[in-house]
Amino acid sequence: MRIHLVTMPWQPIELPSLQVGLLHALLDRTRPDDEVREFHGSLRWAEFLLERSKGALRPGDHVAVGSESIFDGLGDWVFSGVLYNDPEWGVAQLKEYAARRGTDISTATAMRVHAAEFIEESADAILDEAPDVVGFTTTFMQNVSSLALAAELKRRRPGLTVVFGGSNCDGPMGHALHRNHRFVDHVVRGEGEYALPALLTHIDAGTAPADVPGLCWWDGQESRANEESRRTVAPADIPSPDYDLWQQAVDASPVAEYVHPKLVVEGARGCWWGEKHHCTFCGLNGSAMTFRAKPGNRLWDEVDRLVRRHRILDIVTVDNIIDMAYFKDFLPLAAESRWDLRMHYEVKSNLTAEQLELLARAGSVHIQPGIESLSNRALDLMDKGVSGSRNIRTLRECENHSLTCSWNYLYGFPGETDQDYASVIDQMPALVHLQPPGGAHRIQLERFSPNFANPALGFPQRRPAEMYRHVYDLPEDQLADLVYLFDTPPAGIGGGTEARLKAAARDWYTGHPASTLVLEQPTGDETLLVHDRRHGWPRRTHRLTGWHAAALRHLEAGRTRSALHRLLTADGDPPTGAELDAWLRETVALGLLFDDGRSYVSLPTWHVPVRSVERAQAPDGTAGGASGTPDNGEKAAG
Amino acid sequence: MSPLPAPPTRTAPALPAGWVPHRIRGRLVTVDEPLRLGAGGRPAAEAVRFLRECQSHDLVVRWLPATDDPLFTGPAHEVAGTAGLLRHLPAPGPLPGEPAELTTWRERHAYGQLYHRRGPDFVTVMDRREPSAAARFTIDDPDLLAAFRTVQDPTAVAALDAVGREAVDLLAAERLARVTDGWAVALPPRIRRWPVPCTDI
Ligand code: SF4
Repeated sequence: MRIHLVTMPWQPIELPSLQVGLLHALLDRTRPDDEVREFHGSLRWAEFLLERSKGALRPGDHVAVGSESIFDGLGDWVFSGVLYNDPEWGVAQLKEYAARRGTDISTATAMRVHAAEFIEESADAILDEAPDVVGFTTTFMQNVSSLALAAELKRRRPGLTVVFGGSNCDGPMGHALHRNHRFVDHVVRGEGEYALPALLTHIDAGTAPADVPGLCWWDGQESRANEESRRTVAPADIPSPDYDLWQQAVDASPVAEYVHPKLVVEGARGCWWGEKHHCTFCGLNGSAMTFRAKPGNRLWDEVDRLVRRHRILDIVTVDNIIDMAYFKDFLPLAAESRWDLRMHYEVKSNLTAEQLELLARAGSVHIQPGIESLSNRALDLMDKGVSGSRNIRTLRECENHSLTCSWNYLYGFPGETDQDYASVIDQMPALVHLQPPGGAHRIQLERFSPNFANPALGFPQRRPAEMYRHVYDLPEDQLADLVYLFDTPPAGIGGGTEARLKAAARDWYTGHPASTLVLEQPTGDETLLVHDRRHGWPRRTHRLTGWHAAALRHLEAGRTRSALHRLLTADGDPPTGAELDAWLRETVALGLLFDDGRSYVSLPTWHVPVRSVERAQAPDGTAGGASGTPDNGEKAAG
Repeated sequence: MSPLPAPPTRTAPALPAGWVPHRIRGRLVTVDEPLRLGAGGRPAAEAVRFLRECQSHDLVVRWLPATDDPLFTGPAHEVAGTAGLLRHLPAPGPLPGEPAELTTWRERHAYGQLYHRRGPDFVTVMDRREPSAAARFTIDDPDLLAAFRTVQDPTAVAALDAVGREAVDLLAAERLARVTDGWAVALPPRIRRWPVPCTDI
């Protein structure tokens, strides 16, 4: 059998598709007689646009449409005219939507005129190689481009078998995708490692795949959805991806000079925190929350093999949360290699300073610690399991260890009040030397999240997000099963508090590049110096001696007032309760401490990382960096 | 006194000793003598290595050029050539009457314009000294890699064998090594500290 694995726009063009790499390796192992080919449609699309637009539409433009417009659906819309065989389909809807919201649609509009021809050429290229089965993997905004190509392939060669899989096919979404698109023969829902080989066996034999868990298939004109299995794929059965054909495609591509290829690896699936305390807004893990991780030494072997094979030192991990065991095996192995890796990892925010230091030493210099908020009440409401001061500690240690920290400020949790935000917003100017949030964003209702599953949590009214109206020509009841994001009446804060939060986050972002607040302890001296060079604050050096200096150091770990008092008493030179209260008040007012309402944490850092000047040039509070590097996997969670 | 956690330390960098007299305090390095980067030969190669290692360790360097050095007195195109080649290194401090190209060096210098990264049996180089002509290199040819490693330390070209000389010529043609008066030295610092955000370089 000849099988074609396809990844369509908007797979980030500097990354191989993990799914294609995994399935290729899986098929090589389980079906050695098959011939597996790959179609890197996203890369081809970048080439196609570059050529057709005579250099006007560049690979860098993919980020704006393909990654950053995830909440406006522009990437899907680019291909919806092809899917519905009508260049005007969805155009008026999008224009009206964009005018109302102030969304820039110029790049997407310029791209859309090329979409039909691209789909035709892609179909030519794939059919030239005479596949028996074409498998599409779809995540985020890959649905419509994939459906458009699948429809064209089936129109030209009805005997071809079309299979869909990927995150967009999880649970009810997969069934809705299947039953609304007759040209999609099968949809693999959930993980593909067991289901795909089982399906291919049925295709070989010409039998009905009624026993493949989770699979959607056509029984005559009826779309059947087999019951999904509760069995998750064991780590030992998760293959190590094969990126050889991707590398060939990149090497041959004129787009190569515009992109900085990175490797994608997977250590774990599911989330160990979410197994016990599912963060109320998070739908990231789909229907498979059970945490499973490859042993650290196996993950390192994979990284070692891929780095040597592809000569690439940039690595993106797709794990929603790092396995804490990796601090004992994987990360030390990475550190011991002494290679100059640059890895991206999603971690939990309550790591210790030592763990953050190890991440830095291991080359995991870009982390996403799921900070989400600095308000204890909001963090409690979302069941995040960290406090505001703990999050501040993480931000501070990122400065000490030169770790790039990506995060967003989330709000809109049912039950939160203006009061929960007042103190945090007031204190934000003091945080300007720490890495700012990319922006402050209202949470959206995501399928698979507790907020979605349980309307009693505060979102009883919901409907498919408005953007899907310019993406799919489907009735609302079908969209309700097909899509991932939903609109709801706003919960939590709004009005003036919302505006103040957004403005404070923006000010933090713009003030950050020139701001430092650095501790110094002259040798042999008990005096602490704090050099304040923060934007918006008087330029000065604070001198702390005696118990004041000790208190500031004790509060590096974040402590309650009474815990601090106990420590100072043990030190032997305790202040009175009134003295301590006065000092805490004054030091918070000087912006040297953050008070989350339960505990205090010191803000000065011991070190300052090299600040990239480019950050200052993108002060819109929405996107970091001016290099155009898509921050793949950037999502409001982790 | 209850134990306080030790402040996070940064290990003091080992800077090349001998050729460039300097003092170091915290992250600030002060070079005690004017440098002669334009004169060529071993002293210039050693000065380049010194600045390269300072850059690699993210140190701030105060240094001045010798006012009778070709980098100060030479024809504009030569000064521009050298300053353009070394733009990724800490720039000289201002001096009255300095050539405009040295002012440009100071203004255009930024962290991470040229750097190398080490992998298992290869090295990657990112070169953004000329933003309009950014280039990435992977050095994995064994001879080229060996030469790149050798010229981390200033090396007399005459001491290399034919293969080594050819490799050094290639590195120089790609502006990854500087060869003057028979002495070669590699130009890209190893990146030891990523900036924040690390994705910007
Ligand atoms: S937000 Fe992160 S920690 Fe929370 S459940 Fe989702 S993946 Fe797990």
